[in-house]
Amino acid sequence: MSVLLALVVTVPLVGAVLPLVVGRRTRLSRLLTGGILVVQVGLAVAVAAVVARRGPVSSVVGGLPSEVGIGLVADAVTSAFLLLVACTAVAFFAIVRTDSTRFGDSLWLLLVAGLSGVTVTADVFNLYVFLEISGLAAYALVATGRGAPAALAAFRYLLVGTVGATLYLLGVGYLYVATGTLSMAGLNAALSAIGYDSPLVIASFVLIAVGLGVKIALFPLHTWKPAAYATSPADVSALLATLVSTIAGYALVRLTFGVYTLGFLTDVPAARVGLLVAGAVSVVAGGVLTLRQTDIRRLLAYSSVLQFGLIVVAIGLATPAAVTGALVLLLSHAIAKGGLFASVGILAREFDVKTVADYTGLVRDAPLFTVAASVVFASLVGLPPTAGFAGKWYVALGAVAAESWTIAALVVGSTLLSILYVGRVVETMVFGTPTAGVLGRGGSETGGQSHVSTDGGQLHTQSLTRASLLLAAVGGVVVALGLWSSDLALWFQPVVEGWL
Amino acid sequence: MSDLVMVFSSRVAYVAFALLVGIGVFVLVDSDNLLKKVVGLNLFQTGVFLFFITSAFRRDGSAPLLSGPGPVVNPLPHVLILTAIVVGVSVTAVALALLVRVYDEYETLDESEVKEAQQS
Amino acid sequence: MTDVASVLPVAAVAIPAVAIPLIYVSRSNPTLREAWTFVAALVTFAVVATMVRSPVTHVSSLGSIAGIELSLRGDAAGLLFALLASTLWVVTSVYSVGYVRSLEEHGQTRYFAAFAGSIAATMGVALAANLLTLFVFYELLTLATYPLVVHAGTKAARAAGRTYIVYTLGGGVVAFAGVLLVAVLVGTLTFVPGGIAALAATDSALAQAAFVFLAVGFGVKAAVVPLYKWLPAAMVAPTPVSGLLHAVAVVKSGVFALSRTVLYVFGPEAMWDLGVGLPLAVFAAATMVIAGLVGLRQDNLKRGLAYSTISQLSYIVLGLAIATPLAVFGALLHVVAHAFMKITLFFVAGIVAVETGEKYVSDLAGVGRRLPVTMTVFAVAAAGLVGFPLVAGFVSKFTLVVGVAAGPAPVFVAAYLVAGLLKLLYFWPIVYAAFFGQRDGSTPASRHAFAPAHAGEEARTAGSGTAAKSRHAATDGGDVAHRLGQVGWERRTLSTETTSLMLVPILVTVGFAVVLGVVPSYLPFWDLAETVVWEVFG
Repeated sequence: MSVLLALVVTVPLVGAVLPLVVGRRTRLSRLLTGGILVVQVGLAVAVAAVVARRGPVSSVVGGLPSEVGIGLVADAVTSAFLLLVACTAVAFFAIVRTDSTRFGDSLWLLLVAGLSGVTVTADVFNLYVFLEISGLAAYALVATGRGAPAALAAFRYLLVGTVGATLYLLGVGYLYVATGTLSMAGLNAALSAIGYDSPLVIASFVLIAVGLGVKIALFPLHTWKPAAYATSPADVSALLATLVSTIAGYALVRLTFGVYTLGFLTDVPAARVGLLVAGAVSVVAGGVLTLRQTDIRRLLAYSSVLQFGLIVVAIGLATPAAVTGALVLLLSHAIAKGGLFASVGILAREFDVKTVADYTGLVRDAPLFTVAASVVFASLVGLPPTAGFAGKWYVALGAVAAESWTIAALVVGSTLLSILYVGRVVETMVFGTPTAGVLGRGGSETGGQSHVSTDGGQLHTQSLTRASLLLAAVGGVVVALGLWSSDLALWFQPVVEGWL
Repeated sequence: MSDLVMVFSSRVAYVAFALLVGIGVFVLVDSDNLLKKVVGLNLFQTGVFLFFITSAFRRDGSAPLLSGPGPVVNPLPHVLILTAIVVGVSVTAVALALLVRVYDEYETLDESEVKEAQQS
Repeated sequence: MTDVASVLPVAAVAIPAVAIPLIYVSRSNPTLREAWTFVAALVTFAVVATMVRSPVTHVSSLGSIAGIELSLRGDAAGLLFALLASTLWVVTSVYSVGYVRSLEEHGQTRYFAAFAGSIAATMGVALAANLLTLFVFYELLTLATYPLVVHAGTKAARAAGRTYIVYTLGGGVVAFAGVLLVAVLVGTLTFVPGGIAALAATDSALAQAAFVFLAVGFGVKAAVVPLYKWLPAAMVAPTPVSGLLHAVAVVKSGVFALSRTVLYVFGPEAMWDLGVGLPLAVFAAATMVIAGLVGLRQDNLKRGLAYSTISQLSYIVLGLAIATPLAVFGALLHVVAHAFMKITLFFVAGIVAVETGEKYVSDLAGVGRRLPVTMTVFAVAAAGLVGFPLVAGFVSKFTLVVGVAAGPAPVFVAAYLVAGLLKLLYFWPIVYAAFFGQRDGSTPASRHAFAPAHAGEEARTAGSGTAAKSRHAATDGGDVAHRLGQVGWERRTLSTETTSLMLVPILVTVGFAVVLGVVPSYLPFWDLAETVVWEVFG
């Protein structure tokens, strides 16, 4: 059974070569990639099934002793994130990605391999390697966008991302110097033995948290995100927005509680305060910056800064409820934001609507899109009965239980910040009076600037329907996840209890 | 004063590490030239690699060969950094490829000039 | 009453919700679309009525969110509110059809769909078995009613919508904090008649904070001073919306949530022990008087009615705050009585607007000749609100006064008397002018006693109105009539004054109001209120 875990990483990694081998046969490349992604979903489901039946599974590649071998581990939480990676990758590949290229397909699989690796690895150094594999794939994917702005955004993303990863690596170095081991389980034991307040340990935590903070895009380390997401193609921005920061957030949760443990946060109160302050600053700054955005995808990117602020605050609270909330928020935000980026990206690609003002009166042309977008936005705000509400509820519950009144007020008040920007977008879509038709007329006015205009209106309608249905499905998922959030929490419970 | 000299002489690798990281970050932040930023990034990474390698050092240790005589230096950091170097090279390659595209479009690698070109 | 697992509570919420897609799908066929509304309204009513008649309490679970079960329970208090809302939905559906067709409103499909959504959420608020479920539907209600507030799509409507959403969602956030505190303090959110016992035993400062959060959060929708501004602003909505939602469903959801908080979460005793009952009573009394005074200065009929609603809601809140058995009984009766009376008044305002184009009280002199039955109905309902015997308002108000007099602070009786007097001062001139006033074309014969005359008159006397006001004067139907030299009102009779789709509903609602005033125990509301009081006070 433990070979499953290795397959989760190796199948997409080896598979990433296939699109390059088949040469210029784009259809074949697309078929192969799709097939591998479907297999990946099957593997993720299998892992979840095994974990559900037997509890956490772990394995060491190549049968080496666990201190030196490449360790892999999966528990209930891991399997949820594995499923997220696999399902998102296949869904966006099938629905949003229309113009496959073999290089793009290869990078897509590489990203999946890297992110799955980050999720299942049991070793802090391998986490770095997988982080960089996914990072490299992400930089290159951003650069597949048309024109120089995409290349520039990708370059900036690369600089900041690599600095983050290198800081993380330096943190790992400190850990290794302090303990002589790199496996998460080994570190867990060794750190408590040498004492959490050793300067080396504290320094390593700071470096690792800052390094991952870059990938998570906490304020003020978020600068790469808006440009990268706004210039990359629809499918890429959807995939990245769903997964990259989410998996980094999950890594932070795992390292904080699986390696450093609650004992570290208790012995070094400054670390906890640091997390809380960093998260709180992100919430406020993200909320304020979001309000000032005119480009819809930049707006969505800044809203992530706010959301991940909440997640980091929840990690800092370190109560069972708050950590459960952090995990639920990670998942719900990923799904909601991915769906929004995907559908908004399709609209930008096909109709050249990019700013909030372009969405004026959209409801007339796309009622389903508008309604679905409102539901998904409601999850971002945290209105019941969506998954966003459930996550926020758990975090707030954790804050109140910890008697951190400021944090509780922040979590509850962040809803208001979100309402402001979401309200603006929804009001524009529903009650704005467009000066001209929003969609449909967009293509003819700009006069053949896009490849779709030659195909006439049919393709337009098709892609609008596609975007609307996708968003509606995502809306359904966030509501369903909200209504099943208790079961999700129950599924996570043993792991969270093990951490705390 | 003599303490400081002691530190510098006995921990020369750490000093080099700190210098490399410091210079790297400085170039990364300060330089307006995008290509120099890549150089800064490389210096920064190299500094961190050096830190790892230093941690493997053992006085009078020899290369970790199964047939060789003990004591040996810790082989694990070497292996790790070998991987990290590969990662670093790949990152540099991607960065340079991106810069080629940027240069093709803007005909400059100066950050402020690129910004100007982007706005116009 | 024993609890029985049943689908009825879910059905009461689901049926209006299911109507939404049906209404949307049949958007090209107005008759079918409105048929769906009727069917949904009648079936919902039947479902609620079945629960009322049933000897057991129906409970259903909707799964759970964030570890707390979402469940619905048709207990006496919930059924009281659900029965009220579903009855009035039937009536309003009829009226709505007449109203939107007469005015040829745009976006009728959105209107009916959002209306059904609002009712679904209201049913959820009514039947919620715990605080979280209530909160969930409370928020959904805000979202569902927003499209109705901004229905007109004008700048004013969008501004009102923004005010509405900021107030109500802001209130929701505060209520959320309260729900959270209760959850942390006692670990349960399930409603218990007479209050969750453990809550009285916890840290009193935190319990006080929880009560304040909940009272403020729910107080927004109950339009308690100083959080009432959204309600007059929301009067830009179409009149049936103002009638059902802003006189019954939405505002009563606030009041109802507040009563759940007082009676089923904290309990009357604990509330006074915590020292939060008195401040709530003071705010309620202040609201009654202030809203009554401000209402006197309103020339726009719907705004005047909105201020009257604000004042009347606090009648109920004051009864809950005093929390003697009789005061609570009176408060619950007043929820029902005010609903029937105020919806009648709003419907009349709608008929007046549809038939004459008039929106301002000062233009209504002599309108009794044009709309004899309508204005008679108005007079009866107004009398009830003022508190005349034989109409619904008298019974509930009398009970409230007696209940408050027996309570810990009998001085609040004065608030009822003052507010009643203010109501009389507001309604009497309208009724008098409608029947005995004359309109002669140059000046309105009747100035509403205390209100500054509206734009039309101002423009005449001052010679120059502001741009906005003169625009109003140009579009106002009444002023068109002035310019045409039409003096006074054409005389019409029952059969010709307006469409029966609008006349029948007001006759029905006013009929209910009279029945409630003459033989109140004849309707099931009386028994339900009695059961609630018995449950809570033992």
